[in-house]
Parts: sequence; structure tokens; C-alpha cells
Amino acid sequence: MGTATGIIRALNSGIKHIATKRFTLRYPEEKLKFVGDGYQFDPSTGVGIAGLKGRHMLFHDHCTGCQLCSIACEGVAEAIAMVKVPDLQKQNKKSIMPQIDYGKCVFCGLCVDACPFYALYMTNDYELSSFTKEGLIYTPAQLQVKPYVAQDSEIIITKWGATHG
Amino acid sequence: MTNEFLPPGLALQKADERIMTLNVGPQHPGSGHMRIIVQIDGDYIVACDPDPGYVHRGEEKMAEYRNYITNIPHLERPVIHDSCNVLYPYVLGVEDLLGIEVPERAKYVRVICSELNRCIYTMYWLAIYGIFLGHSTMFMWPAGDRELLIDLMEKISGARVTHAHFVPGGVRNDLPPNFEEVCLRQVNYFEKRIREYAAVFYDNPILISRTQDTGVLSREDAIRLGVTGSVLRASGVDYDLRKKEPYDVYEELDVHSNVMKEGDSYARSKIPWLDMLESCNIIKQALEKMPKSGSVRVKLKPNPKGKGFNSVYKRVESGRGSLGCHIVSDGKVEPYRLKLSVGSFRNLIALPYLLKGEKLGNMPSVYWSLNYWPVEADR
Repeated sequence: MGTATGIIRALNSGIKHIATKRFTLRYPEEKLKFVGDGYQFDPSTGVGIAGLKGRHMLFHDHCTGCQLCSIACEGVAEAIAMVKVPDLQKQNKKSIMPQIDYGKCVFCGLCVDACPFYALYMTNDYELSSFTKEGLIYTPAQLQVKPYVAQDSEIIITKWGATHG
Repeated sequence: MTNEFLPPGLALQKADERIMTLNVGPQHPGSGHMRIIVQIDGDYIVACDPDPGYVHRGEEKMAEYRNYITNIPHLERPVIHDSCNVLYPYVLGVEDLLGIEVPERAKYVRVICSELNRCIYTMYWLAIYGIFLGHSTMFMWPAGDRELLIDLMEKISGARVTHAHFVPGGVRNDLPPNFEEVCLRQVNYFEKRIREYAAVFYDNPILISRTQDTGVLSREDAIRLGVTGSVLRASGVDYDLRKKEPYDVYEELDVHSNVMKEGDSYARSKIPWLDMLESCNIIKQALEKMPKSGSVRVKLKPNPKGKGFNSVYKRVESGRGSLGCHIVSDGKVEPYRLKLSVGSFRNLIALPYLLKGEKLGNMPSVYWSLNYWPVEADR
């Protein structure tokens, strides 16, 4: 193959892309769809359930204050601190629950694997930016809230190329 | 103070009017997180001294203070794009130490994850190789098409990079429902896309004229210097650990290793691309042969301990060559010593030999064709 033919072939394969669809995801306007409802873990079988590893969610009526999540995080990020909570739960004698610093968290999900009481899960919430460092520290009351996450686009493959439809 | 006690680059050089010393990096975009000290005579490189260590963070020492499970998230930090392959030898080694038998389905999930990760890493590498050569289309296309596979890894593990998906005893979670169909569709499209790269990049006469016959590494030199992975296979040595020492289920799959004889920059840059096509083939085979149901993880005690004082060495074929992990256990919850032996560092040894006598303008193409990842080499 000669030099001119090669260059024309290269140009031609680029020109073909004028007709194909745009692949880019226009992020703040449209958001990606995820599998499931966040990463969860079933302690009875010892296997997780697939999902996005996003912001945690804490179930106050299950948490016993056993600190296993905090211990699991010790060697990883030291993001989890156990803090006193005012509301009294009958299974939580010490009244302590995890508080998570998302400035340190690496979203590995080992704390979810460590929880034997179905109390700590992860959700699809990934937009955690804040103007202050204190805004990244989520108290047990904030972790209790189930987030609303818009999910409206996924990769669609058509004859005219892939697109985030 | 004599020269031998000074770090490279600071040592006093004998004055020579013709020779000029240049520091490429560590902040230079063309070097990654490392410095290459080159001595040039006009436009020709006389000597070259790569100086890695700029992003050393002591992963091996850190591993001695964490138990076998909490080691997982930080051991994958050296190569976040290839995190499954970095964890693979560690996980295989710990399984050997603890005496765990992994379920069949977990082995197939691991193979799929590691092949997807190899493609994700190679696409990133290819994007940077394209922009090093001033080929901006080759920067945009791989960076965009990478998204297809990142999306698959996100569906499996829940994270775009640093998946922390492999654990001793299997994988963290099962594949999501309806995954096989989505995976097959996206991998088929990905394969079709990377075949298009041939016309725009690999068969492009401008690329061929820039990379062919530059930085030639002969077969004998490649064996003598101990390079691994795509660099070794580009020099005509058929050595792929997936074929020579199959781990997990690679012996049940039909793996073809790509070999080229030239040993120049062009061959070294083409081998990873051929490997990606082979990875797509392996993923399709694994999806077909995988058991449709079954456990993916063995339940372990919370803090597993090694049995007595023993050691294990495992290695896998990563995106950059052979990646070995030597774990010594003394019966405690932490490893006594952990050593990562990475392909990047081995391939860097060849750089001074390849650059001698080359033009300075060929330095980026030769350097990045070595499939070198600075963060992994420093560990």
C-alpha cells in the first residue's frame, strides 16, 4: 500500500464518523443508569449483591453499635468514626453509630461486607461534592436518608454507532 | 563528595562543549511521573538514564501492617486502570496460604474481569501513545471507547476504577442479572471499533515512518535484559503466562499469544492492540463456558491467618507483562513480607539500550512503547 493510499484511507475512516451518533454523555443534564440499588451484602451467604458503590445508607433500627464497620475501615481509610446518637434504640445499648467522612472514604465497600446485622448498605448517590471539609462528614442522621438519584440514560448500540440514549 | 555518592543527574559531569544534558520530567507531560536524563549531541541521544521513584509510596511496607482483607483496596492503587490484574497474584497467593478452594463460577468471573481490565488499561495506554505522537484522533477514540468496558466493570463491581472486586476465596459479588447479554453486545461493538483503529493508526504511513526501525530490541537482547509482556513478544519470544503457566481457568480457554519479530517501536505498539482483540475473544469464550449458577465466594473467617511460617509466589500476565507477588506468612493476620514484582520496572531496564543513537524526537515513541506505567514501577 502506497503512502497516498494509506493517508486517504486514514482520512476516510475519520470522515465516516461525521454520520455516526455522538457517544458523549452530557453529564449534568443526563445521568447514567446503574444496575440495582447500590452495593449490598448478605451476611448469611457471604456474597454481595451487585450495585454502585456510592454513598452509604444506615438503618438505625438494625445498627447495634458493634463497631465492626469501623474496625474494617481501620486499615483502609479510617473514614468511619463511632459517635453518640441521641435517639434510643433497644438493640443499640451503647447508643453509638458510624459517622462517615467522605473526604477519606475510598468506596471499597469493605465496611458493608463487615456488617452482620443488615444495617449498612451503599446507594447510587455519587454526587457528594461540598464547599467545606465539614460538609463531607455525614452524621448517622444524614446517612439514614435514602437518596433520590436521577437515572435516565444508558449505552445503546445501534447500526449508527453507540450512544448514550 | 565524589560522584558515586550523588543521585543520578546531580553528579558532576565532565565538561564537553558538544554534549548537553536534558532532564525530561518529572513534571514534563512526555515522561509520566518520572525523570529521564538524556545526554544529547546535536539531535542524537548519546546516553540516557531513567530515574524512577518519584511516586514511591511504600505499598510493600504498608501491606505488613494490614490484614489479608484490608490489603485489597490499597494494593490496587499502583495501577488503578488495571486493578483486577494487580490484585490477581495477591489473591491467588493468599488462597494458597490459607488453603481455600475457589468455586468454578468465581474463576470465570475473575477471568472476565481481568480481561476487561486489560483492555481498559491498554486503551488508556493507547490514548497516551497517540497524543505523544501528536495523533489527536488516537487520543479521543480510545478514551471514548474505553467507556464501553468501564460501564461493564461498573455493572459488575460498582466502581469505575479501583474495583476492589477480587477477594481471597472468589469475588465480592455475583454478576448482575442479564449481564451476559449486555457484555456480549458491548464487547462485540468494542471489537468492531478497535478494528477501525488499523486504518487510522496502525496502517497510517505517517505512524509507520515514525515508529518503524526505531528503538530496535533484538531477540537475544530482550531475553538477556529480562523484559516481559508485550515488549518480549514484540521481539519474537512467544512467552505469555496465560499460555505457559495457566492460572484459574485459562487452560480451559483457547488463548492465542501474539508474536512479532521486528522488535521496533511499531511492533511494541501493535502487540497490545492485537492483545485487546484476543481479550475480546477470551471474554466471549468465558461467557459461553461459565457455569450459569453457583456460588462465587467462599465464606471466610473475619480475620484469616496464614498456616505457620511459609511463603508463596504467584504470577499472572497483566497488561504490562508478568506481575508476580511473593507473600511470606508467619501465622499472623498480617503478611510478614509482601513483594510485588512488576512488569513495568522490568521493561524500563531496556530504555537506555534502546535510546542510544536515536533522535531526540523519537524518545516519546520509544519510551511509551515499552508499556511502562511509572506508578506501578515505583509501587
